[in-house]
Amino acid sequence: MQKALDNSQPYARSTATATTAATRQRNNNIKKWLLTLVMLVIVIILDYPIFAIFLNAFRTTTEIISTASIIPQHPTLENFSYLTARTNFWGFFTSSLIVAGLGTLLSIICAGGAGYVLSRYHKMRIVSNYSRVLMLVQMFPIILALIPLFIIFKNAGLVNTYYSVILIYTVLNLPFATWMFEGFFDAIPRELEEAAFVDGCSRFRSLRTIVLPLSGPGTAAVTIFTFLLCYNEFLIASIFLRDPDTMTIPVGIQMFMSQYSTDWGSLMAAASLASIPTIIFFLFVQKYMVQGVVAGAVKG
Amino acid sequence: MSVTPVTEQTSNLRIRQQPDKVAKRRIDMLPFLLLAPSILIICIIELYPLLTALVYSFQNGSLLSSGTFVGLQNYLATFSDPEFQGSVLFSAIFAIFSVVGSYLLGLGLALLLVQNFPLRGLIRVLLIIPWILSSIVTIVVWRWMIQDQHGTVNIVLSWFHLGPIFFLSDSRWAVVSVIVIKIWRSFPFMMISLIAALQTIDNNLYEAARIDGADRWASFRSVTFPGIRNISIILWILMTIWSVNDFETPFLLTQGGPSNATESLMILAYKDTFARNTVGAGAAVAFVSLIILMLLAILMMRFRNRD
Repeated sequence: MQKALDNSQPYARSTATATTAATRQRNNNIKKWLLTLVMLVIVIILDYPIFAIFLNAFRTTTEIISTASIIPQHPTLENFSYLTARTNFWGFFTSSLIVAGLGTLLSIICAGGAGYVLSRYHKMRIVSNYSRVLMLVQMFPIILALIPLFIIFKNAGLVNTYYSVILIYTVLNLPFATWMFEGFFDAIPRELEEAAFVDGCSRFRSLRTIVLPLSGPGTAAVTIFTFLLCYNEFLIASIFLRDPDTMTIPVGIQMFMSQYSTDWGSLMAAASLASIPTIIFFLFVQKYMVQGVVAGAVKG
Repeated sequence: MSVTPVTEQTSNLRIRQQPDKVAKRRIDMLPFLLLAPSILIICIIELYPLLTALVYSFQNGSLLSSGTFVGLQNYLATFSDPEFQGSVLFSAIFAIFSVVGSYLLGLGLALLLVQNFPLRGLIRVLLIIPWILSSIVTIVVWRWMIQDQHGTVNIVLSWFHLGPIFFLSDSRWAVVSVIVIKIWRSFPFMMISLIAALQTIDNNLYEAARIDGADRWASFRSVTFPGIRNISIILWILMTIWSVNDFETPFLLTQGGPSNATESLMILAYKDTFARNTVGAGAAVAFVSLIILMLLAILMMRFRNRD
């Protein structure tokens, strides 16, 4: 019990032995709340731009320019109705959902299989080599591939279609998605599968009946992470989806920004609508996602 | 950490011998089957274009015609081009300051967040959000923050009778702005990785340092930093790679301007190819970037293998 207490508060233990336990406890509590206060101030400073996006979305451009405070004086939905009536925002949104949805599906299929192999067959030569290839894919300057791919896809008539972007997104997501899957599969005890082998179960069957049902939360985390990567991507979408009918949100906002750079109300409304799915999805799986991403990046 | 893992390992070995024997008789096709889609798509989307781009870099083609073979001319022209030299310099400055800035901010926050205090989980989540927002959303709000007249930053500066600073039209301030925004987008990743590393440090070491009379700085130097040293080196290299590779932050903020002050290698390769229609020059710049990134990746693999 004493040890557990020490572990949880390495710095907070008071050295003054003369004070009673009660005052020590109270001092500790005050110190802890002071730290919370300091952290909240830091959050307000560092997250100020985020609060600004959502609050400015409810202010008219005139109000945004005339007052320094970001608290809406006369909250209005004008910016949102402008986006719906005068721009193709919801069309961009649909494109984004299609591209991100299908890109995620393909990434999950490829990375799930590879992640399982990396976790269970890591002693095989081909697997350790593949692991190295993934490292290179991760650092690959994608612009180098985009130059020939643009020419290839243009000749194949795939520019301004979702296929081009979906295929490229899949490769872009592979390294992180595979490493995240590998980490989650590693956490599923091998003993379960090995018991099944002894009973004469094939590798494939054990994968289907034992590993897949257990990897639910991990798969959810990878799905959402890859979805966000696709949903947020700008460069590839801007090269391959130039037609307003296939444009995704980031490209649409960039186009709007270059034409009406000072229409802050509409820009902030578009930015906040674009961010809502991102933030909600993130909150759902933040715990798993953070674990997986850190493991993926650092252990490789 | 004492008895159980050992027995687990031995039982592991015993059971695993059986499937291995079976595997010798009949080759297990599952790993090949599961790796096939990934390998196929990597070959189509990266390997084949990589080889094609290598050919392009020795030709004087455009997006419409493949052009003729010109030998090393694209590379020689690239190396002597002041615009290329400027972009190498900007990429280096951008990478170094982004890494240092995001690491220090991330480390500071990580050290605070491993302590025990109310609302810690909520605060941690709020501090991760800058990292998950898309580049375009980040740039929209930061462009608003650093506007010349009504920008938040210039308003705050005017309280101290400073400014106004024209962040996006002054070359030096444009570089500073891109770096600050990159730090803002990257510090949460540093923070969560370092929190994970800090949590693996044995608390008995802090106890021992305290008994030896170490103050906070001494215990940071002798306990905390050695504990996160390896992961820090990997994070520095990884973040350098990501910064060199980052197209979106500088491009969306300034398009490489004013007068090419924030033009990175990626932006130069993009402009050469898609704006100036000189595919050979673009491919040459992209290849030089690949070599720089490869060197960094090799460095990182060395450190990983050493652990």
